[in-house]
Amino acid sequence: MEKLIEEHGLTFNRRRFLSRLSLGLGSAALGSLLIPDLFSGGAFDEDGLTPGIPHFAPKAKRVIYLFQNGAPSQQELFDYKPKLRDMQGQEIPPSVRGSQRLTGMTAGQSSFPLVGSFVDFKQYGQSRAWVSDLMPYTAGIVDDLCIVKSLYTEAINHDPALTFLQTGSQQGNRPSMGAWLSYGLGNENKNLPTFMVLLSRGIGNGQGVYSKLWTNGFLDSIHQGVQFSKGEDPVLYLRDPDGMDRKDRRDMLDNVAQLNELAYQEFGDPEIMAKVQQYEMAYRMQTAIPEVMDLSKEPDDIVKLYGPDCLVPGTFAANCLLARKLSENGVRFVQLYHQGWDQHGNLPFEIAKQAKDVDQASAALVTDLKQRGLLDETLVIWGGEFGRTSYTQGKLTADNYGRDHHPRCFTIWMAGGGIKPGIVYGETDELGYNISENPVHVHDFQATVLHQLGLNHEKLIYKHLGRRYRLTDVSGKVVNDLIS
Amino acid sequence: MTSRKIIKLAEQLLFATAVFTLVLLAFTDKVVVPVWLQAVGRMHPLLLHFPLVLLLLAMGLEIFRFKPANLTNEFYQGFLNSLWLTGALSAGITVVMGLFLSREEGYTGSALQWHKWSGAAVFFLSALLYWARNRAWYTATVARTSAVVGACLLVASGHLGATVTHGNNFVWEPVAKLAKPEPVPLEQAVVFDHVIQPIFEQKCVSCHNAEKLKGELRLTDAESVRRGGKSGKLFVAGKPEMSLLLKRIHLPEEEKKHMPPKGKSQLTDNEIALLSLWVKGNADFNKKVVDLPPSDTLRRIAAALFKPAEQVDEYDFAAADEETVQKLSNNYRTILPLAKDSPALAVYFFNQKQYAPEKLKELSDIRQQVVSLNLNKMPVSDADLKSVSQFENLRKLDVNFTNITGAGLKTLAGLKHLTELALSGTRITSSDLQEPIRTLPSLKMVALWQTGVKPADIQQLQKAYKHITFIGGFRGDEAEPIKLNPPQVKNSSTIFSQPLAMQLGHPIKGVQIRYTTDGTEPDSLKSPVFTGNTILTESASIKARAYKEGWYGSSAATFNFYKTTYKPDSVNLLLPLNRVHQADGAKTFFDGKLGVLNANSPAWANNWAGVRNNDLAFVSEFKQPISVKSVALRTMVESETGIFPPTIIEIWGGASREQMKLITTFKPAQPQKVYPPELNAYGTTFKPQTISYLKIVAKPVEQLPEWHNNKGKRGFLLVDEVFIN
Repeated sequence: MEKLIEEHGLTFNRRRFLSRLSLGLGSAALGSLLIPDLFSGGAFDEDGLTPGIPHFAPKAKRVIYLFQNGAPSQQELFDYKPKLRDMQGQEIPPSVRGSQRLTGMTAGQSSFPLVGSFVDFKQYGQSRAWVSDLMPYTAGIVDDLCIVKSLYTEAINHDPALTFLQTGSQQGNRPSMGAWLSYGLGNENKNLPTFMVLLSRGIGNGQGVYSKLWTNGFLDSIHQGVQFSKGEDPVLYLRDPDGMDRKDRRDMLDNVAQLNELAYQEFGDPEIMAKVQQYEMAYRMQTAIPEVMDLSKEPDDIVKLYGPDCLVPGTFAANCLLARKLSENGVRFVQLYHQGWDQHGNLPFEIAKQAKDVDQASAALVTDLKQRGLLDETLVIWGGEFGRTSYTQGKLTADNYGRDHHPRCFTIWMAGGGIKPGIVYGETDELGYNISENPVHVHDFQATVLHQLGLNHEKLIYKHLGRRYRLTDVSGKVVNDLIS
Repeated sequence: MTSRKIIKLAEQLLFATAVFTLVLLAFTDKVVVPVWLQAVGRMHPLLLHFPLVLLLLAMGLEIFRFKPANLTNEFYQGFLNSLWLTGALSAGITVVMGLFLSREEGYTGSALQWHKWSGAAVFFLSALLYWARNRAWYTATVARTSAVVGACLLVASGHLGATVTHGNNFVWEPVAKLAKPEPVPLEQAVVFDHVIQPIFEQKCVSCHNAEKLKGELRLTDAESVRRGGKSGKLFVAGKPEMSLLLKRIHLPEEEKKHMPPKGKSQLTDNEIALLSLWVKGNADFNKKVVDLPPSDTLRRIAAALFKPAEQVDEYDFAAADEETVQKLSNNYRTILPLAKDSPALAVYFFNQKQYAPEKLKELSDIRQQVVSLNLNKMPVSDADLKSVSQFENLRKLDVNFTNITGAGLKTLAGLKHLTELALSGTRITSSDLQEPIRTLPSLKMVALWQTGVKPADIQQLQKAYKHITFIGGFRGDEAEPIKLNPPQVKNSSTIFSQPLAMQLGHPIKGVQIRYTTDGTEPDSLKSPVFTGNTILTESASIKARAYKEGWYGSSAATFNFYKTTYKPDSVNLLLPLNRVHQADGAKTFFDGKLGVLNANSPAWANNWAGVRNNDLAFVSEFKQPISVKSVALRTMVESETGIFPPTIIEIWGGASREQMKLITTFKPAQPQKVYPPELNAYGTTFKPQTISYLKIVAKPVEQLPEWHNNKGKRGFLLVDEVFIN
């Protein structure tokens, strides 16, 4: 009997235990239903993304990025360091240089003498920003500019640094900033691509630009940057061949579309319909592109504003003017590259020429957008991929020197697009080597640009090969001090 | 179902809720609440009254539970037991709902945290008590203590919840509000009254007022601030570092004399900066913030204080029907929502040929929603602006480079939200603007570039309407003249065998080109004007300049035209080319393609055939004998990088490959220092020779000279074309 009671107790306890356990586990499981990434890690809201529509009301609708390829020396343009002149020829203190990794070009150098700018600086505008005498036109618009002196990057060589700035990763194959914007914002003008690229070249030591910089990466190929060439056909393969008129083209497209429709019904591959759309866009571009590219109707004031080179195809000035026209016509992202800023040697001679190439037209673009009431909705960015050292590369002579790559600080400017005008943000130490105040990482810069376009950089995501990717990778925060 | 079973079920539910709550608490930050559950969460403020009342009642009865009379009262005991169970259970459900609600936007801050944890504590305490209250060790004392503790916790949690919902100081707010001054706009703000005094008000006055008067110091008004306290005057005007006020502020916090004292709310960096800058600026009591220069740091920090909270446009209209928007949107009329979940729409028109007035009228279904309209460069007329006026919520209108006039502008009256108006490139005049400016109350920006509005008019407008920015833009006639760019050569090739009409051009219309053929600098007076009638018969070096009224003349451009009479039928290299300067091999020299500078980079070396370690040597074969009298090699010289002219050029010729003899040699001048890169044709003329085979040998520099960076090394020789006449 006793045994029976004991047995009953045990049975009762076991049953109780099991029922309680299942109840507890059940509740825990119910709770876990509300925690989507409890076992997957990394929180994000997949519902938050509707490609083609901004997350919140944007300040800027379009971007024009005047990329100064090769890395312009901030010490000769915007970052005024009189101390460098005082200490001309003296070694840079090791405490300042720290453990900075050097490029192969100066790693073997036994001495690192400081060198001051060969050119003088003055203060301009209400913001009293310092600008060198090499940039007189830019100096004239400082009150429209937000000059950021404290950008820094992780790479020390051109290609990785460029790729990092453009795609958020030093290795290639991720989508470029323009492709991300195309993906996030979609078309404004359905007759033109969302992302266009214009190249020009100065006389200075140049570094290559490659199509991987305007790649769509793993995004759909409609987000790829379309490169303009400076020849007779600005967009290749757009012109109808001789003997084919517009009606023939129409008929051909209609017939191909029918074939594609059949193929789509059979295979159901969405890429087929994407292709049909691409053909249609190209057809519309046949009339839109000549309308946009026609510089002959630009008034004389425009030629004086941008400088006479703006009518010479392939120059930076012409590209700036085209950029305005494309942007005005709803192209989301116009990317310019101007090569020739890599002044390892012969800096005074080369940088003066480079600055002359870009100064007037860059300032003109800002003025031109402003006088059309477009500056508030167009973000203009001017800058290179990193900075240059405050010590000389190679021999320091009375009138000649060079500067090597420097990732720890560099200067860019932005204008319009809801960025605070007339401010200088961030500061470097008096030798211009380290940032002393308000550092802005490349990812912070990218996050800020996306923010101005109404995109949350943490939500602009694309899932590829099992990983979710962002332009800002896994970091970056919006720099609120730059936003008006 | 018996009551026993119901209790059993409720007990199980209580246990489940406890576990569920634990999970939610552990992962609060990661919980994502689906939309339908949000509704459940929002019932938290409704349900919370049940546990509040049930548990308070239960705790009250618990205190008297062990009274002998009550101990035997079966109803008392049974009722109390159920009360605990329902109370604890409703508390649990309320906590779960509260946790859902807290995941919605806008719930942050310490009050929420305290409320969350105290609420959870109430639940777990009541559940624990329900489980423990029938154990042997649960005595009257334990019962009383836990009931009192529980009740306090319950009231505290309830109060914190009210703070979360209604905000701090909810009860006293109406009373406190009466005393609060109206916010001052930046334009009227006085530095002391509206920037400095509020800092004292917030951080100092609680101890330094008429009643408390610590250190005999009052900071309640300008007069008392001037007077100072027991230790003397507060500041030395213009010298913050000598001023008692700032000395005290800057003492380390542990110091007894540090102000505000340890434990009190401290000054922020900005506040310290403001006080310091105010003293530095002579501690002026009357200066207005806007009297300071815009670059002044004090003004910049202060301006931020007065800046109104970010003005996000709140749209009070409903979203348009998605299908309607879809239908109205096409390739030439894009209609885009401003943002996700925003009812506002932006409309863009593209392609002039596709535009028609009806296309604007068609938008009447979305007339409420359109806040931005872009008609840039469309053939828009005044009549069309009538259709524009239907967009009652329009904020931004771009009619740049359209055909509108003042008459059309008047129809826009009544667009009370219109803030930005782009009129550049239209025929609008200053008088056209007067009326619209008055009838458009929200207007902030008007773009007037290339209109009939003169710079003087813009100054006047700007003076009269300070709240609007008028943009006049760039005027070429007012700007400093700038230099023209040089002329360009338009001939497809500058190498010719037949007489060639020289074609010079310039991208800017109305430019005059003047040129010389003798190597002298062209000028604006004597040099001939290019008319298109110049025929070249021999190689020539043309220098040309561009001139235009209102511009500085361009610098001179040099164009080299090369005549070459004979092209060989075949060419054979005798010695190899440099690896990176292969160009098109032996064909390079007669392909009619000229190279450009910057050949050192392989990408630009396509037209340059080069040697370094051996001579450049090749034989040209002519099937028909030719009478040759001159040979020239077009060569790049970039002295800095060691690309030099050949040291010697040998010209050999003959009737057959085997029987060639040396016709002549030529020694180009060698660089004596580094000079800018240039392109030269090095050659010589000689007595005409009839030949079928021509051999050219050109030797690169074997040792770069002493002055060169790479002295002693071999130089490069780069040739892109050879001319035979």
